[in-house]
Amino acid sequence: METVTPHHFMVLSSLLFGIGFLGVVIRRNLLVLLMSLELMLNGINVALVAFSRSGSNLDGSLFVFFIMTVAAAEVAVGLALLVALYKKRKSIFSEDINLLGN
Amino acid sequence: MLDQILLLGSIAVPLAVSLSFFAGWVRDDEWVVKLACLGFGFPCVAGILLFIKFDGTVDGYCFEILYEKMGLQELGITFHLGLNGVSSPLFAMAGIVGLAAGLAAVFSGAKRLKLYLALLCFMQSGLMGLFASVDLFFYYLFHEFALIPTFIMIGLWGGRNRRGIALEITIYLTLGALVSLGGLVALNVMVDAPKFDFPTLSQALSDIALHDSTQAKIFGLLLLGFGILVALFPFHTWAPRGYEAAPTPVSMLHAGVLKKFGLYGLIQIGAPLLPEGALFWSPWLLWLALGNVLFVGMVTIAQGNLKSMVGYGSVMHMGYCFLGIGVCSSLGAGSAVMLMAAHGLSVSLMFLLSASIQRRSGTYEMGQMGGMAGKTPILACFFVAASLATIGLPGFGNFWGEFGVFLSLGEQPSHRIFLGLAALGIILSAVFGLRAVARIFFGPQSEELTAHENKNPIRDLGLTEALPAGLILAALLLLGLWPRGISDRINKEITDRYAKVDHATLSLFLPPCCPVPQGGEESNQTTPLQVSPPVVLEPEER
Amino acid sequence: MILGLELFGMKDSSSGRTGVIAIFFQSVLFVGHLLDYLFWHHSAALNFFSDMISQGLQAEVMRSFFLLSSLLVSIIGHRYLCRKGLKSGEFHHLTMLATAGLMLLCQSNHFLMLFVALETVALCFYTLVAYNRDSAKSLEAGIKYLIFGALSSALLLFGIVLLYGVGANPEAWGASYPGHEFMDPLSFQYLGNLMSENPDNLMLRAGVVLILAGIAFKVGAAPFQIWVPDVYHGSPLPITAFLGVSSKAAGFFVLLNLVNGPFEGMSEFLLPLLGFVATFTIFFGNLAACAQRNVKRMLGLSGVAHAGYLLVAVMASMQFAGDDDRAIWVLFFYLFVYLLASFCVFGVMGLADLPDENEHEFSHYEDLAKKSPWAGFVLVSGIASLAGIPPFAGFIAKLLLISVAYEAKLYLSLTAMVIGVVISIYYYFGWMRAIALPRPASFEDVEDAPDPWAGLSKTGFMKVVLVLLTVASIVLGFWQGPFGDVF
Repeated sequence: METVTPHHFMVLSSLLFGIGFLGVVIRRNLLVLLMSLELMLNGINVALVAFSRSGSNLDGSLFVFFIMTVAAAEVAVGLALLVALYKKRKSIFSEDINLLGN
Repeated sequence: MLDQILLLGSIAVPLAVSLSFFAGWVRDDEWVVKLACLGFGFPCVAGILLFIKFDGTVDGYCFEILYEKMGLQELGITFHLGLNGVSSPLFAMAGIVGLAAGLAAVFSGAKRLKLYLALLCFMQSGLMGLFASVDLFFYYLFHEFALIPTFIMIGLWGGRNRRGIALEITIYLTLGALVSLGGLVALNVMVDAPKFDFPTLSQALSDIALHDSTQAKIFGLLLLGFGILVALFPFHTWAPRGYEAAPTPVSMLHAGVLKKFGLYGLIQIGAPLLPEGALFWSPWLLWLALGNVLFVGMVTIAQGNLKSMVGYGSVMHMGYCFLGIGVCSSLGAGSAVMLMAAHGLSVSLMFLLSASIQRRSGTYEMGQMGGMAGKTPILACFFVAASLATIGLPGFGNFWGEFGVFLSLGEQPSHRIFLGLAALGIILSAVFGLRAVARIFFGPQSEELTAHENKNPIRDLGLTEALPAGLILAALLLLGLWPRGISDRINKEITDRYAKVDHATLSLFLPPCCPVPQGGEESNQTTPLQVSPPVVLEPEER
Repeated sequence: MILGLELFGMKDSSSGRTGVIAIFFQSVLFVGHLLDYLFWHHSAALNFFSDMISQGLQAEVMRSFFLLSSLLVSIIGHRYLCRKGLKSGEFHHLTMLATAGLMLLCQSNHFLMLFVALETVALCFYTLVAYNRDSAKSLEAGIKYLIFGALSSALLLFGIVLLYGVGANPEAWGASYPGHEFMDPLSFQYLGNLMSENPDNLMLRAGVVLILAGIAFKVGAAPFQIWVPDVYHGSPLPITAFLGVSSKAAGFFVLLNLVNGPFEGMSEFLLPLLGFVATFTIFFGNLAACAQRNVKRMLGLSGVAHAGYLLVAVMASMQFAGDDDRAIWVLFFYLFVYLLASFCVFGVMGLADLPDENEHEFSHYEDLAKKSPWAGFVLVSGIASLAGIPPFAGFIAKLLLISVAYEAKLYLSLTAMVIGVVISIYYYFGWMRAIALPRPASFEDVEDAPDPWAGLSKTGFMKVVLVLLTVASIVLGFWQGPFGDVF
């Protein structure tokens, strides 16, 4: 069995990032959209940890904590907005949120 | 010192009047009229005084004002005012036309007169500054002063379709201005001179001339930009419609003065600094100018509306100026300057009189007028004089300009075809000019006119209208009967500037075995009235 | 020093008095900073936090910029909040926090710092855009901004990670490897060395492109400008102004730092890319703005066009040699002029009393010049400055931009810029036409909508501020004093 090299982590991270990206672009349920955003950020985290380990450099791992914190804050704001929006428009699907626009 | 005050004042006084109107410090209607007269009168008087005082034998600029700390010194921009041989007649002309336009506006009885006069004064200060600038950047800046006032004035006080035309004219003017700005910036960057004004640039270029292809590119940009601004042939469509929709004083200032911006730029900056570039574009320019003369001339004949006829006619006459520039000789350029000054006066006179006619007959359509000579003899007199001036009859200033242009066309054998075709233009302008006179003043009176007359009796030209018209007509007659008054001042300046261009032209057109004579000798002591001896036929030069 | 002061922007009370206190505090801060900048010339670049923050001359200028911007936003915001009856405590708190974040962003010298500051700013903005919780449009704008913003942050982050990946790998470095103890692969200086060594590394290139994509979102450059019209439309007016000025300025300053710092080794690769983006942005922004009926959307898209012009300035800065930072000062001048003009425009827009305050149409501005001449004059000069008409400062800014771009031989982008400016005349003057010229007689019976400008008499302080801005715009059009000396 071959060893797990950083390349594998890179592939995993790109996959996660790609799935998340597709999720943001395609999904209509805003909650799932927010989850896809989180997925992207976590993919990035994986890559960071992998590079940090392979290069024996602690900066990457440090960065991961910052990213996690920021992601948490972002999701807090996002969920708050979603709740307020739901109270107003009674829906969390993106096609119902169409007041703006020409 | 007094001269500098006059020069600076001719820009500052209208600006101050305009700003005081904007800020609302002037409430009284009487004071509005008085201040407006001051705002227009001061530049006129200053222009004429400075023109008379201008010494045609001095090298370079007179009455200079220089202020360096404007903040953009690194780009070479300073506040440098002055008059030279080419700009002083145009400066005086701008003052005279401005006064006439201002008086026309004051007596026109328009609503919101204060705003109208404020915008017009603002435009006037820009026009005076335009011709007084030595620094190229301020030359451009002052021209742009006219942009917003034109937009607002056409939109508020214009004729039919004014909102659309206002936007369209602004877009065209901005396009032309930006392209020419590109050319000016290119010039600034390519010539690494400490200051961005003409004497410094010509000094720097005489030390290190630019490469031919660079010159051609820069001159091409300038030509395109200025051409759009001056309504050169394919880009002329905005001008007549704009003049038709604009109120009369605005048309006067635009067609009479503002249009000369591009031509002035080409003569002052383009050809002297970029002689090879000018030569490269010369055939193009000549053909397009011919398009102006012939094509637009024929369109003018087809016009039934007096104001649009005058508008198209002014575009047509710009063709002559372009021909004079396109020939790339000092004779051509000098005649173009004379024609510019005279044309500015004559076209504004035509617009003024058209407005008077419209006030009396209620319409601009010439088919609905007729036989007015009996009722308004003085107006008829003025109008006939103006038409004859536009056509280019001797006795008025336009004749000398057009004659000089034809002479310059005749100098080179390759240009003789242009001479022939341009002479046709005279016939065209005679056709529409005299036909207008005939239709409006002579012949049977039309029913519409009779119907209108029963409601508003037609009176002859009153003092308020005759005053500006008389002023311009006097200037035209003066130019026509004593052309040396203007040509002396233009002469030395053009000769000095065009020394390089003449050299380049002659070296282009001479057969290779003939040595090229030195630049200054041929026309140093002659006025543009004398024909310079055709060099190609003198075998003694060998 | 001053760096710590801005962190005192934490106020939690929610009474109406907060507005006045906030304005006072910010003006003190701004004046203090300006004095500090002008009188104690910090010439050397100081580095703090183990090289994560650098405080050089350019950063000082940008900090004054952000302080001024947030001061003006607070002034406009105060009036807006009083009218809407919203709680003002969090508003000022968040704007000051966002400003603090922006200032840190401009001083960051390390990708970690960059990311943290960027996210701080972004989070504040997400909340601010959705501040008006009663308006569905505001919330919708907020969620759209959040989604797009988070997406772009993720892209940016992935780019940073790719750079880190190469940087943490000792073999990739080559000659400039600084040694194991000193290595800080996310710092700008080290990355700069790495990239000059290996400009062709695919991963590095991908990382750079992704980072630029993230920045292009903040700035509103194509193809990431889809959010701009919607978010500008829905957000409250003072926040639209804040977004349009500060967020854009920060994005550009960061871009400038990046392309002239770490990414300098990649200039040959980046220049055509940026050129393409700039041209596309200019054309898209101008053409789309022509089609807009709603004024806020039009302003957003015109902002996109301005972003395109600024990108040309950034490209020019890449072309000049290291010490010659003319293009950078042109960028600063343009941003300052843009600030003055935008706040003139948004300030007057804020004075209108419309039933639905997001729907500013051209028709609401009909005849403004007659109803309230000074407001009309301020608005007209703001628009003219944005359009680049002499004698306003916007013309000088465009002139400087044209000459710098010409010197940097960016002819194609220059042509695009000129065409863009001409197209922009259409919509700017279309608005001016509505303001200055009276409405043509319409045929149908339009019921008289309540005049949005009826209550203009009670606007003393705003009047002073707006007139000051306009005067500054016009004066800068003639005399550029201290900016010119820097050339």
